[in-house]
Amino acid sequence: MDFLFEAFGEAVDFLRDSSGELGAVVGLTLLVAGIATVVAVALGVPLGVTLGLGRFRGRQALLTFVNVGMGIPPVLVGLIVLMILWSDGPLGSLDILFTPIAMVVVQVFLALPIAAGVTAGAVSSLSRDAVEQLAALRLGTVRRGIVVVKEVWPGVTAAIAASFGRVVSEVGAVLIVGGNIKGETRVLTTAIVQETRQARFGAALALGLVLLIIAFIVTGTLTWLQSRERADA
Amino acid sequence: MPEYRFEDLRWPVDEPVVDVDELVVEDGERLVLFGPNGSGKTTALRLMAGTIGGGRPDGVVYLPQRPYLFRGTARSNLELGLDDVERGRAAELATELGVSDRLDGSARSLSGGERMRIALARTLASDADIVLLDEPLAPLDHRDREQTATTIAVALHGRSAVIVSHDRSSAAILGDSLAVLVDGQVRQRGPIAEVFTTPIDDVVAAVVGVSNVLSGVAASGDGALVEVEWQGRMIVAAGSQTSREQVKVLFGGEAVAVHRDRPDGASPRNVIEGTISDIRTVGRLLEIVVDCGAPVAALITPGSFETLDLHQGSTVFLSVKAVAMTAVSVGDAE
Repeated sequence: MDFLFEAFGEAVDFLRDSSGELGAVVGLTLLVAGIATVVAVALGVPLGVTLGLGRFRGRQALLTFVNVGMGIPPVLVGLIVLMILWSDGPLGSLDILFTPIAMVVVQVFLALPIAAGVTAGAVSSLSRDAVEQLAALRLGTVRRGIVVVKEVWPGVTAAIAASFGRVVSEVGAVLIVGGNIKGETRVLTTAIVQETRQARFGAALALGLVLLIIAFIVTGTLTWLQSRERADA
Repeated sequence: MPEYRFEDLRWPVDEPVVDVDELVVEDGERLVLFGPNGSGKTTALRLMAGTIGGGRPDGVVYLPQRPYLFRGTARSNLELGLDDVERGRAAELATELGVSDRLDGSARSLSGGERMRIALARTLASDADIVLLDEPLAPLDHRDREQTATTIAVALHGRSAVIVSHDRSSAAILGDSLAVLVDGQVRQRGPIAEVFTTPIDDVVAAVVGVSNVLSGVAASGDGALVEVEWQGRMIVAAGSQTSREQVKVLFGGEAVAVHRDRPDGASPRNVIEGTISDIRTVGRLLEIVVDCGAPVAALITPGSFETLDLHQGSTVFLSVKAVAMTAVSVGDAE
């Protein structure tokens, strides 16, 4: 037990004494996860609406692809993206490996299937009357998409929360393509791994606590938005 | 455009509940798809609207049987998919339909009848070439039904429309012509008064009943009874019209009494002279169709038929009590 108490004590000391370095790590974490979530949601929600409304050739194949993507191991995605961005790889000339850009790219691949899959689930739960009415209204694709997203808004906020949760807590893929370079590509999860490896449990615990607070604030805000929408409905 | 042609209305493809090769709606025709429950009316209309079957016909606006209002205000639903001109019209229609005071509230707080009227106002406001309505009066209270029917009839005046109904009086008010759907196929199609007075066979007679629809012009009224000009004569019907307007007068074949000589009675103006043009059996009764300038159908027992010594070509007098006839407004007099 003493060991645990010591670790907690060290964690508090770490947070109190931490310099700008912690701020930089938190900032990069939020930036990378934030951009990746925005891109994944911007692409995944329209894809999910399309999949959820159905009625086109190849829908089942695409849906299976999305479902597999939701469960794909992040290290594998990290490895594939690493090989693509490797200097001898097809996109090696972009020279973005071990930069935050590569981390955003890999996180988009991880979050997109979640954004699409959760949205598709919400859209396919629309009643038959709602689907018939949508077809009857003959709106343009964009207008119809907006109506659907508003209609299943609680589901879309769940998709955003799940996407953000996936990328902010993910370690394997960002470690592979980002390299955990101090001051450049180090984020909270990779920093926790780093501190743990060096047996600085107090510091690792402190970083974990910060990660928990971020996840709590973001998902809490989205849950609040969701419940407010439900009350309006 | 001269007409609207719907082809290959067939669904589901392997075991069709609707199987109609072609249904043509003339320019300005309001066609009622009439039939019992399960006859395929709604499926046929959905095929026409393209919400099933894959076709996406242009120029069609469609009101589903159970209109769905999306999250937001009633107004946002009223205006969904409409341009500025159509929105103006939708607002006027909402006023006529008695839902204008509900527009700023949440769509979810509306009753079934209010939702239908919002969706109806949006549908009727559209500029589309042809309007498809599925049972637009079904979720409404008896109280709102007649006003709504009149609003629809006026809004559809001169436009092409297909309206699904299983109710005789709604069909008579809303349509000019009728297609009787039985087991997914059109069994009879013709002007509404003709199909109602002269069903083509027992099956159609069982579906539509025997009834009369007289199109005339209200001349004057006291709020309870109205005088209607029809075929150059005046008839008196129950109705609240007090000014000149187009009306349809509805009454069943069983409300018509048949006489060989002009009867003396309390409502002498509702005596119509004509010649028997057709006699047919409807269940245990006989239907006689009398040409009075337009056909009027009467149901009588075989006993009366014998006693009166009726046959094709006989001159007869028909009498109908004013209270048995209902006059419903369908538009301004021209």
